[in-house]
Amino acid sequence: MLSRIANSLFWMGRYLERVEHTARYIKVHYYSELDAPLDSKEEFIFESIMTMIDEDMKITGDGELKEKQLLFSITLDEKNPASIISGIGYARENARGARDSISSELWGGINRFYHFINGYSEEDLHKEGIHVLCDRITEHCSIVNGYIDNTLLHNEAWSLIRLGIHVERAFQITRILYSKVKDIQSLQKQYLSKSMESYECVTMLKSAEAFDMSKIYYRGVPNIREALEFLILNRNFPKSICYNLRHIHHAVEKIATSKQHHAGSIEFKVGKLFNTYEYLTIEDIEKRDIPEFLNDTLLDLFEIAQGLEEKYLSN
Amino acid sequence: MMKDAPLELPKKAILDNYEMCEGLYDEIFDANQNAREHYKILVEDFGKLKPEDYTKLNDYAKISFFNQGITFAVYSESLKGVERIFPFDLMPRIIAAKEWEHVEKGLIQRNLAINHFLYDIYHDKKILRDKVVPADLVFSSNFYVREMIGINPPGNIYTHICGTDIIRHNDGHYYVLEDNVRCPSGVSYVLSNRETMKKVFSNGFLHHDVRSIDDYPHQLLEMMVSMAPEGVDDPTCVVMSPGMYNSAYYEHSFLAQNMGIQLVEGRDLFVDKNFVYMKTIHGPTKIDVIYRRVDDEFIDPLCFRAGSYLGVPGLMSAYRAGNVTLINAPGTGVADDKAVYIYMPDIIRYYLNEEPILKNVRTYRCELEEDYRFVMENMHNLVVKPVDESGGYGILIGSRASQEELEEFRTLITGNRRKYIAQPIMSLSVHGTFIESESAFEQRHIDLRTFSLMSKDKQFVLKGGLSRVALTRGSLVVNSSQGGGSKDTWVLEE
Repeated sequence: MLSRIANSLFWMGRYLERVEHTARYIKVHYYSELDAPLDSKEEFIFESIMTMIDEDMKITGDGELKEKQLLFSITLDEKNPASIISGIGYARENARGARDSISSELWGGINRFYHFINGYSEEDLHKEGIHVLCDRITEHCSIVNGYIDNTLLHNEAWSLIRLGIHVERAFQITRILYSKVKDIQSLQKQYLSKSMESYECVTMLKSAEAFDMSKIYYRGVPNIREALEFLILNRNFPKSICYNLRHIHHAVEKIATSKQHHAGSIEFKVGKLFNTYEYLTIEDIEKRDIPEFLNDTLLDLFEIAQGLEEKYLSN
Repeated sequence: MMKDAPLELPKKAILDNYEMCEGLYDEIFDANQNAREHYKILVEDFGKLKPEDYTKLNDYAKISFFNQGITFAVYSESLKGVERIFPFDLMPRIIAAKEWEHVEKGLIQRNLAINHFLYDIYHDKKILRDKVVPADLVFSSNFYVREMIGINPPGNIYTHICGTDIIRHNDGHYYVLEDNVRCPSGVSYVLSNRETMKKVFSNGFLHHDVRSIDDYPHQLLEMMVSMAPEGVDDPTCVVMSPGMYNSAYYEHSFLAQNMGIQLVEGRDLFVDKNFVYMKTIHGPTKIDVIYRRVDDEFIDPLCFRAGSYLGVPGLMSAYRAGNVTLINAPGTGVADDKAVYIYMPDIIRYYLNEEPILKNVRTYRCELEEDYRFVMENMHNLVVKPVDESGGYGILIGSRASQEELEEFRTLITGNRRKYIAQPIMSLSVHGTFIESESAFEQRHIDLRTFSLMSKDKQFVLKGGLSRVALTRGSLVVNSSQGGGSKDTWVLEE
């Protein structure tokens, strides 16, 4: 596998995952919080979407105009590199660069996705509403993910795509948890609103498509502690940090040349991080400051992503 | 599809008002407007279609191309540009078995002769000493590569892949228009066109015995493997592309993917101690055979154009040491120089001692005094072409040119007589082609790009090729870069 191709496959996975995450996040936040027990709902919704997706976004309008601008900017604005349309463009460009390493079915799936979003106009968006677009995007993502898992040889190429997907997902989940925990803490400081806390907790779970499964797991709507436990430590839920670290570890093992990893190597770091999480409990985490813990996780993930780039993905 | 069509003949079917121009050779109908023998069934099939049925099939084909990403970008106000598909016509061009046999023999003969010629001009130069081909013509060609003198490529093969363009003139005979022996492109469209046709027009395939073409990638890989440097048993073969922004990138990735080998760019490769390696996630991997879709002058900045980022420094040196095989060999372009083309019949006779099977178009070499004067006086009845361009660039069709354009070309030719040749305006045969704006079939000029492979003991010619269509009424320029379209080409079994 060429390093250049490896790089394209890795980033294809990351962009696809990022797009899926963005669509899901917008949908959940826009709709769940419409009936949130809050005074300045709009501000709160926009604020949370902006922090998560695109902090540099410049929105000039007010009221309905502001809403339209914001929704357009994060979905269909080609000039915004953080928009969904840009993300799909990058994913396709990377797939095109690695065209000979993937299946025609996967390429066709990504290409149809690309043409779908490029054929979707701003008028369509405002007419049909943001949820229609986000649903279609999520569907396309599922189709593409299906092709990734079911039409590729599960070899290096597949492992690199999966590596990109899990690295990106681990980042996104950690960032959601970090910002939600911060939000909840600031709410608590202001006017300890129990209803708002459980509201945020549910949104957090929904943002990770974890609401249904966490209810089954805890036999009821989870409280904030359980929600964090579920999203950080659950070994079998595909969106949890721990699950994603395990899959990053798997992918790296599959790509690695030798099975003997010396201390300090990237493979060693990945293995160590994954194993630390496997044997962590929510009590351990609570003993520390939770935002600080999540911030450390982000730093560890950065270090890993950088190490992978250096070792495998650059010429 | 066809089953949904009503059983009785519709009132106005798409072929009903087909107009035939006198003096043109129509591939489908003879002069009495009767379908030629090998077109009878097809005409019947198409004759049942109403414009709306046809449009449905046509739209389906378009979507199929679009989704496969067989597109090119047109620049526009939007950041990315709009993507368009290459125009494709659903009515296939059919070549009868006997006729194809003749074409195939002619192509093989011609390619063998070209290969002998290349070996000769880089070794003993017998043909030049015998004055069959003027030596100064060969040495003055931009594509004569001095670094190739005395080098023996594996099996002495230079032109592993040829993309000969042939046409049928209104005398009914096939002529070779150009020998493309550098990096001929288009074969991916042949294969994709066929895939789409099979989906859209499956009945047509049930009614005809069409020769299959899908073993091309396999044949190509087999040829590449057989060309491995001496002593290499299980060679690593790659396709080398200038990169994603090259207009033929689709084809490069298509071929690599269909052969199941890596697609590399110059920046993925490096040369160490005269061996070529690619940079992989597990370190360097030696490569043995490169099907390079990068022109000679860009493959090695140390040897050719110094500023080229597309190439690999030291590649020529590794090639000269016999450690890597390049496909095609460097320096083949001298054989498709349009002035050397004139001597092709003599080249065939000289090396093979046979009469040429395919005809050559009468060609005037402006460097010769007599030809030059003839061209100057008769330019309005001639096509003038630069000897070293491809893609239909820099061509003047005298009958369609204005006085100023003719004058401009007279000055150009006089300024560089080696660079220009002229030919009578050949009347390319015409084929019924669906014209969307008219919702009907009209005659359009076509040619045929063929694809041949050559290894040590084996010749392979793809059955059919890319039938290119000039979509503008009356136009003779079929190149895709100039707005041409294409058709699936069916070679029938005996």
